[in-house]
Amino acid sequence: MNPVKAGPLVLVLLLSVLVAPAYAYLKLGVRVGTRTVSLQWNAFPIRYFITNRGAPGVDSAQFESAITRAFSTWNAVETSETSSQLVGFTAASPTSGDGMSVLGFASRPDLERVLAATNFIIDVTTGEIVESDIFFNTAFSWSVSPAGETGRHDLESIALHEIGHLLGLGHSAIGETEVVPGGRRVLAAEAVMFPIAFSPGSIADRTLKADDIAGLTDIYPNPATRRTRGSISGRVTKNGAGVLGAHVVAFNTRTSALVGGFTLSDDGSFTIAGLEAGPHVLRVEPLDDAEVDSFLDASMNVDLNFRVRFHDRVVVVPQGGGTRGVELRVVPK
Amino acid sequence: MLPRAAACLVFAYLLPPLLHATVLVPAEFREIVNGADIIAYGRVVETTVESSEDRKTVDTLVTLRVGTYLKGGPGETIVFKVPGGQVGRYRNVTVGAPRFVAGEEAVVFLNVRNGGTPFVFGLNQGVFRVRLETQSNRRLVVPPVMARGLEPETVVRGAAARRPVPLETFGVQVQTVLAEAAAR
Repeated sequence: MNPVKAGPLVLVLLLSVLVAPAYAYLKLGVRVGTRTVSLQWNAFPIRYFITNRGAPGVDSAQFESAITRAFSTWNAVETSETSSQLVGFTAASPTSGDGMSVLGFASRPDLERVLAATNFIIDVTTGEIVESDIFFNTAFSWSVSPAGETGRHDLESIALHEIGHLLGLGHSAIGETEVVPGGRRVLAAEAVMFPIAFSPGSIADRTLKADDIAGLTDIYPNPATRRTRGSISGRVTKNGAGVLGAHVVAFNTRTSALVGGFTLSDDGSFTIAGLEAGPHVLRVEPLDDAEVDSFLDASMNVDLNFRVRFHDRVVVVPQGGGTRGVELRVVPK
Repeated sequence: MLPRAAACLVFAYLLPPLLHATVLVPAEFREIVNGADIIAYGRVVETTVESSEDRKTVDTLVTLRVGTYLKGGPGETIVFKVPGGQVGRYRNVTVGAPRFVAGEEAVVFLNVRNGGTPFVFGLNQGVFRVRLETQSNRRLVVPPVMARGLEPETVVRGAAARRPVPLETFGVQVQTVLAEAAAR
């Protein structure tokens, strides 16, 4: 292959939407002037509309019920404060900018292999969310059956993931896949926000995991949470230099909760917040088995060339405080 | 201190065998190669934002100056679209959609429907970014996830064998898959 002749590679970092620096999990962020701020709703309840169109196997009333349950699951997280309100049904499209947040089925042939997607319109002068739509792709078969339905994707599970985005969460990397002829399959995941689809028929993702709860709590903490939850912060380094884009996972040995975060700056610094107090084992790993675009802005020069490493000490997270200065040293593959 | 073996064991059992949801139905590399109408390596020279006639949807048109076509090949440049873009003070963002900036290089796997503007296979699955390794002056690509046989194979994050490969090697992988398909 012949390299394209052109000037030096330019990595433009004037991103309008990107991940916010530091903090547990992965939060969506927006560049406002020279600052990056978390993408979040500033007023509650979040008002949304439902399209008045169903899809084979799911009528509009069933769709509305599944969406309401998914919103309720997020709103029920005890350590955070969010709320939502269904305004009503609409004929508006969930893929268009019209000032309303709309959730519904739609056909998008250009988004094949995408079960559903969340879209934002953001005022980049303020960072304010103008609207957020979620479309569910009619190219797939859907189900609202309480126990799931063989061969059909569970609407409530997918809605829970997408509403996580709507609330400001990015993707989690806490999952494992296997490759099989014709595709990849999720073996396990400890986050609803893991970006790869489950097998049709599964309803496992109707329940939030510790990583999801930590992320939401990080964005919308309630006053009590600030006194009870804690954090771990530090750096991932290789040959003394910071590692960008490393995935750091904290495992609470008392509760078995898994919460992940990323290093999001050139100095390799990370903070995992929203953690339950207690002893944690830390592991750092490269995001070399996934599309980086699905997690981080690809213009970031993410380092994938290092070996998995466990921190050699157990890190104790205090209630309402943080453990700082953890250094995870990795070596090249 | 936590013994390393104990820590490994802890993590080995962290993930219960539950299947989880979300947005993507991921493709294996052969499917991406064979499913794409156009495969091109090149450098992004321009991005422009396009609103639909009713101004309700926004896409970014990416112009790629093509160095090599591995499949298809309409001309020296190719324009494809990705969801989202900024119009005035408002930015339209689809979570997980790829972004491109002028100057960067990539191998893109594109589809075309009904003669329309090409788009990226599987939202972001058809994008393989090319990085210039300054020490060696080589262009590197993160290798695709690809089944080696018919048996399921766990994708091990951080596996020593998963390293960026030279662009030329990546091109050979693509051509090998295409040749396999042609031979069937």
